[in-house]
Amino acid sequence: MVSFSDERLPNGLRLIIAEDHLAPVVAVNVWYGVGSKHEVPGKTGFAHLFEHVMFQGSRNVGKAEHIALVQAAGGTMNGTTWLDRTNYFETMPSHQLELALWLEADRMGTLLDALSQENLDNQREVVKNEKRWSYDNRPYGTWSEKLQAHLYPPEHPYHHPTIGSMEDLDAASIEDVSAFFRTYYAPNNAVLSLVGDVDPAAARQWTERYFGRIPANPSIPPLGDTSLPPILGEERREVVEDRVPLPRIFFGFRAPALGDERLDAIDVATQILVGGRGSRIYRRLVRDERIAQDVVGFSLGFVAGASIWAGWATVRPGVSIDHVERSFIEELDRIGHEPISADELARAHALIETEELGALQRVEERADRLAMYATLFDDPDLINRMLGRYLSVTPERVRAAAAQVFRADNRVVMIYVPALPPAEAVPGPLETIVPGDADGDRSDEEAAA
Amino acid sequence: MTKGRKSVVVATRPTPGEPRPYHFPPFERAVLGNGLTVLTVHLPGRPLVNAQLVMRNGAADEPAIEAGATVLSSRALTEGTERYDAIELIEATERLGASLHADAGWDAYTVGVEVPASRLKPALELLVEVVAHPTFPESEVERIRDERLNDILQARADARRRADEAFAATIYRDDSPYHRPAGGTRATVVPLDRTGLERAWTRGLDPARMTLVVAGDLEGIEPTRLADEMMVGWKRSAGAVEPGPIAAKPVAGGRRLRLVDKPGAPQTEIRVGHVGVPRRIPDFHAVSVLGAILGGLFNSRLNMKLREEKGYTYGAHASFDLRRAAGPFSARAAVNTEVTAAALSDLLAELERIGAERVSDAELRAARDFLIGVFPLRFETPGPIVQALSGLVVHDLPDDELATYRERIDAVSADEVLAAARAHIHLERSAAVLVGDASVVASSLEVVGLGPVEVIRDDDELSEA
Repeated sequence: MVSFSDERLPNGLRLIIAEDHLAPVVAVNVWYGVGSKHEVPGKTGFAHLFEHVMFQGSRNVGKAEHIALVQAAGGTMNGTTWLDRTNYFETMPSHQLELALWLEADRMGTLLDALSQENLDNQREVVKNEKRWSYDNRPYGTWSEKLQAHLYPPEHPYHHPTIGSMEDLDAASIEDVSAFFRTYYAPNNAVLSLVGDVDPAAARQWTERYFGRIPANPSIPPLGDTSLPPILGEERREVVEDRVPLPRIFFGFRAPALGDERLDAIDVATQILVGGRGSRIYRRLVRDERIAQDVVGFSLGFVAGASIWAGWATVRPGVSIDHVERSFIEELDRIGHEPISADELARAHALIETEELGALQRVEERADRLAMYATLFDDPDLINRMLGRYLSVTPERVRAAAAQVFRADNRVVMIYVPALPPAEAVPGPLETIVPGDADGDRSDEEAAA
Repeated sequence: MTKGRKSVVVATRPTPGEPRPYHFPPFERAVLGNGLTVLTVHLPGRPLVNAQLVMRNGAADEPAIEAGATVLSSRALTEGTERYDAIELIEATERLGASLHADAGWDAYTVGVEVPASRLKPALELLVEVVAHPTFPESEVERIRDERLNDILQARADARRRADEAFAATIYRDDSPYHRPAGGTRATVVPLDRTGLERAWTRGLDPARMTLVVAGDLEGIEPTRLADEMMVGWKRSAGAVEPGPIAAKPVAGGRRLRLVDKPGAPQTEIRVGHVGVPRRIPDFHAVSVLGAILGGLFNSRLNMKLREEKGYTYGAHASFDLRRAAGPFSARAAVNTEVTAAALSDLLAELERIGAERVSDAELRAARDFLIGVFPLRFETPGPIVQALSGLVVHDLPDDELATYRERIDAVSADEVLAAARAHIHLERSAAVLVGDASVVASSLEVVGLGPVEVIRDDDELSEA
């Protein structure tokens, strides 16, 4: 149980404080209600580039000095950008809390004072290298960008990836940074959460002192209609040639929006399907039939219209891609049509409970969750109710949610195949017999394409 | 620009408050009748308990011809026991909401469990079953071996893993274990079977050299008594072997420039360095401060130059990989292809500068304060505390090593950092290993002064670098 206070400054800044004096540590997390979904065509990747600029100094803080001061104070920090939001956080020795608040306030209030073309150009190059490193120069690295484009129509703000495109990053200007800052980086569009070894009275006083005079923006533009049909309406397929040694099949589905209780049921289904060494798909494809090198599945929860369920299986050498695809899909179908056993559900619940317990041990995670639930749902107390929600999911709700999501007309299948046939690059006894492959379909035509 | 009206922010930087005293959590030591050591740490308010059994035999201790046996052994250890098959074991663990896992690296083989405190006893019973009666079923061993062979293929295609492995193979002589990946090479993994994996397991199976570390909220739980009930019957295995010295031999001369060709790559992965130092060295704390200043902090010399000044990379780092024997020292960055030579030159210049003159007082203070300050942050939860205590066991360090860490970091001087740099960083015998597009990069590299470029083309054949 996380006890917290929840209040607003007159300028709209929401302040959430949760005390925990076990360790002399405090987590500070600032969530801004702006993410890549607020980007307009031609400006993709901008919210994230902007996040980098937030570390380039403000009126009273020099370039890269924010990080220098936090680290020299014995703290850690970072910022992240995602489809629905951007956040900035520090974990500090508790006697350094005031410094973190001062630093966050200085950039919330005066970022543009330090903005320069040189710093923007520098961070543009850094972000382009981040894109190369995280996506372009990784095997299978383009999958998430492609999946988003398949699952959301071009006019939807989730259609494009948070990292953006090189062309749009090149086009970002100083004027764009200023306009974005003035529009979205206002206290009434932010939640500040403080969790850990904190004196609430002192923290409140510091927050008022440092953030209290930053003006609100009364006219933050609303996002517009982001509603979507719950299902895609067709199966979409793509074959991608990549410099990979093993084929990998990616599966994607539109899933209920974050906060929808049906997504809780999908998450429990995911635990049962691919959640560990005892899960159905892992057991069948990796352990028993040995047709996959690995299998993965998870939901990516978003609030605007629909979430993503994504999964993949890496195909073992010599195994038919088609066979692996069919086996994976059979298990997705089965959980929507056959009842799950009490034992399976109990195991899934026990693992989810331990995972939740483990995550919430850390002040950083608690600060992140409180700010997230406040920003996205105006309901920070969800931190105390999510576990109960997962544990109350019944077999029937798992079945119903799975049947609704894992259907052929809601499915994206992307098959990554080696640009060079693996047979040429891989000598030796890697040929794998496929137990249970009764239909005799061992063709490898897609891998050899 | 805001003169004449009240600023929206406060210009004056706050000063820090009084730090709360911090001490690394005290631990209790007990030795069972069979010699097994038990370390327990009571952490009130931490209901998820972490328990780990540590054995001091790692991949560095296996014969070269069986390279990979120890790592694969750890993957196979939880695949079946005399009483349970793999699925029964997995399901029993999951019912407890526990994770039971075995891992092996260069230095150690560990078996651990994380579980809510109320279910610690049944979780330890499963751990004991796995340790006392593993069967290494041939069929599961085959699967795990095939998965490793596939993983070796995947590693070739991943520029970062390819760079790390080519770098290790370049700086260590081929009769050093660290020359190869801990998981073994294709040639050594193909012939591995259950007897090799079992041999790797029993090598460390001597209670007198094993330690159980338990941390979490242990109110009402007596881990030592539980261990005594469950583990005191363990005996030394006939296959147990006292670990010998590890040969961590550098190649002669050292200075080389290698480029693994990755046609079309948008970035070049760069590794520069040489054989470094082991964990147990007298100047460990000076080396830690040195690493932070050169390439550990965000505002390290490498990151400030290559990222914040030049925009060549998302991040540039340097570190000493401190193992039981001398692990690699490396400086690293992934840079966009067209700036490869310039980035490599900048990186080499920083390696030269760190040994040429004393670091500034500001750099020294920032690094020391960072390491001192984040120390309590690192040990907020039981898992990292168990890992840190396991590290004491593995590296045979004194009990007060963690308790005295912060004061010893605080005592490091600029002269000691310079001495550590001169003793442990050697530009003249550094090798540079790159993974990138040779058609764009190779011809530009002559200017960096590391000699001729040796280009490796993976597509020709799967020969060892």
